[in-house]
Amino acid sequence: MKKLLIVEDEEALCLLYKEELSREGYDVTTAHDAEQALEMLGREHFDLIITDIRMPGRDGVELITEIMGLRKDVPIIINTAYQSYREDFMTWAADAYVVKSSSLDELKAKIKELMSR
Amino acid sequence: MIQEFQFSASDFEKDEPKELMLLSIISQSFFQPFSIEDNLLVILTALTSGSGVGFNRAMLFRASGEILRGELWLGPKSAEEANSIWEVLSTPGIGYIEIIEHNRALLRREADSLNKRIKALAYSLDREPLSIPALPAAKREVVWVKGAWAEPLVDKSFLNILNVDEFLCVPLFSGDEILGEVILDNAITRRPIEHKDVKLASLCGLMAGNYMYSTTLQKKVVEMERMAALGEMAMFVMHQLRNPLAAIGGFTDQLLDSTNDAVRTRRNLDIIRKEIKRLEDVLFKLSPFLKMDLRKPISFELPPVVQAVLQSTNIQLKREGIQVDVEVENGLPEILGDPTYFGEALRNLLDNALEATPRGGRVSLRAGRGEKNGVVLSIQDTGPGLPEAIKEKIFEPFLSTKEKSMGVGLFYVKRVMDACGGRIEVESEPGKGTLFRLFFRSRDGRRENG
Repeated sequence: MKKLLIVEDEEALCLLYKEELSREGYDVTTAHDAEQALEMLGREHFDLIITDIRMPGRDGVELITEIMGLRKDVPIIINTAYQSYREDFMTWAADAYVVKSSSLDELKAKIKELMSR
Repeated sequence: MIQEFQFSASDFEKDEPKELMLLSIISQSFFQPFSIEDNLLVILTALTSGSGVGFNRAMLFRASGEILRGELWLGPKSAEEANSIWEVLSTPGIGYIEIIEHNRALLRREADSLNKRIKALAYSLDREPLSIPALPAAKREVVWVKGAWAEPLVDKSFLNILNVDEFLCVPLFSGDEILGEVILDNAITRRPIEHKDVKLASLCGLMAGNYMYSTTLQKKVVEMERMAALGEMAMFVMHQLRNPLAAIGGFTDQLLDSTNDAVRTRRNLDIIRKEIKRLEDVLFKLSPFLKMDLRKPISFELPPVVQAVLQSTNIQLKREGIQVDVEVENGLPEILGDPTYFGEALRNLLDNALEATPRGGRVSLRAGRGEKNGVVLSIQDTGPGLPEAIKEKIFEPFLSTKEKSMGVGLFYVKRVMDACGGRIEVESEPGKGTLFRLFFRSRDGRRENG
C-alpha cells in the first residue's frame, strides 16, 4: 500500500483528504505543519508528499527546501489555494501543482498518475 | 569637517542675483510635497516676480494627449502689485505654504475673469497648420514673438486675450513627452523682452518640464503600487475563500454518496455549516477595505480623535478592570492623515491591546512629538506579548482567523498609516507585552524639511 503524507493546517481538509484518499486505497498520514511533517519524514518512509504552501510557522516553501536538503527521492504535490505560483513551483520543486477546489478529482488524478510511474 | 546646507528662498538676500533666487525657488519647488498644480504655480510666481528680471505675467497651458489646453494665468494687474508679489517672495522666513496660499488667493480673485477665458482655449498639437501657442509645444522650441498683431502664425483669439505685441512661448517637455507651455509677457511694464530673459525662461522651462514628467511618473508608480496592493489583497481573499470551498465541496460530495450513515451525515453537515460561517466572516472582515477610499491626507488635530475613540462604547466596555493611562503632550502639531480612518485604526489597536491585557493589567496610550516635527502615538499593553514567528507577519492580512484578536485589523492599520505617509512599528516580547508606535507626519514637518 502506497504511503502518503499530507501537510495541511486546515483541520477539516485534513479529515477530508484522509478519508477520501484512504478510500482510494492509500495509507494516509496527516501533519498540521512543517515541523510535524519533518519529524514524520525523519521517522518513516513515504511514497508521496502532498503539501499546502501557506501554513502557520514554517510554510510549504521552507518544508520543500528542507525535504530537498534531505535528498529524499520522494515526489511532491503542491495543494494550495493560490493559483499564481504554479510556474514557480513546477520549475524547481514540485511534481504536480493542484489548486484547491470544491472537487477532489484533480488531486486524486495527480496522485494516481505519480504513483503509477 | 563637514558643513550641511538646506536653502530656502529666504536665505537669498535681496542684493543677490535674482536669477539665482529664481532658480533656487524653482528647483526647491520640485521637492515640495504639494500638488503638481501648486508647485507649478510656485514656478509661475518665480517667473513673474519682480519687474527687473521676471516677467509681468505667465500663462500656463497643459498638454493632455494631443491637445494643448489653457489652464491658468498668473500675474499682477499693475506694476505696484508686481512689486508686492516680489515683496512676498522676499519676506524673511517665508515658506512655500505662504507662497502657495498667496497664489491660491490670487487665482480665486481671477477665477471669474481671465482664467475662465483661458480655460476655453484648446489647440491640437498634431493637426497642421500649427498656430501659436500650439507650435512651440509641438516643436519643443522656445518661440519669441515680436509684433504679434502682424504675425499670421499667432492665433487671434489667443492674442485677443493676451493683448500684447511681444511675448515668449516656453515649451514644457521631457524627452519626447510634451507636457505643456508657458506664455510670458511684460504687459504691465511694457519692458521689451531681452535675450537674457529668454535664456533664463528657457532654462526654467526645461526644469519645470522635467519636474512635471517625474511627477507624472511618480503618480504612475503610486498607482501601480496601489494595484499591486490590490492584487495582494485579492490573493489573500482567494486563499481565504478556497479553503472553506474545498471543504464544503468535499464533504458535500461525501453526502451525495449513499453509503453514509446518520452520524457521518450529521458530522459533514456540521463541518459544512462551520465553513459557510467562515466564508461569511471573510466577507465581513473585508467590508472596511471596500469602504476605504484613500483620499489625500489632510491636516487634523490628534487629541480630539483619541478622546472620541476612548469614549466609544466598545472601548468603554472592554476597559473594565484594566487601567488605561492616557498622556497627550500639549501643543502637538496637527498631523497629516484621514481622521475617520485613523479613528478606526486606533480603535483596532486599542481593541487588540485591551483584549490581550488581563484584568488588573494596564494599557498606556501616549502621544508626543516625534522625528522631523511629526507626532508619535504609542499604545503599550501588559498582555502576553507576541511570539517571534507571529511578530514578523503581524501586518499581513488574515494572519490567523482562528484567534479572535487577529485578522485584518492590523493590516488595516498599516494601510491607513501607509496612506498618510506615516508608519507603524511593533515591539513585543513574550511575557513583556506589546508596544505599537504610529509615526505621523505633520504639516509643520513638511515646512521644516523644505
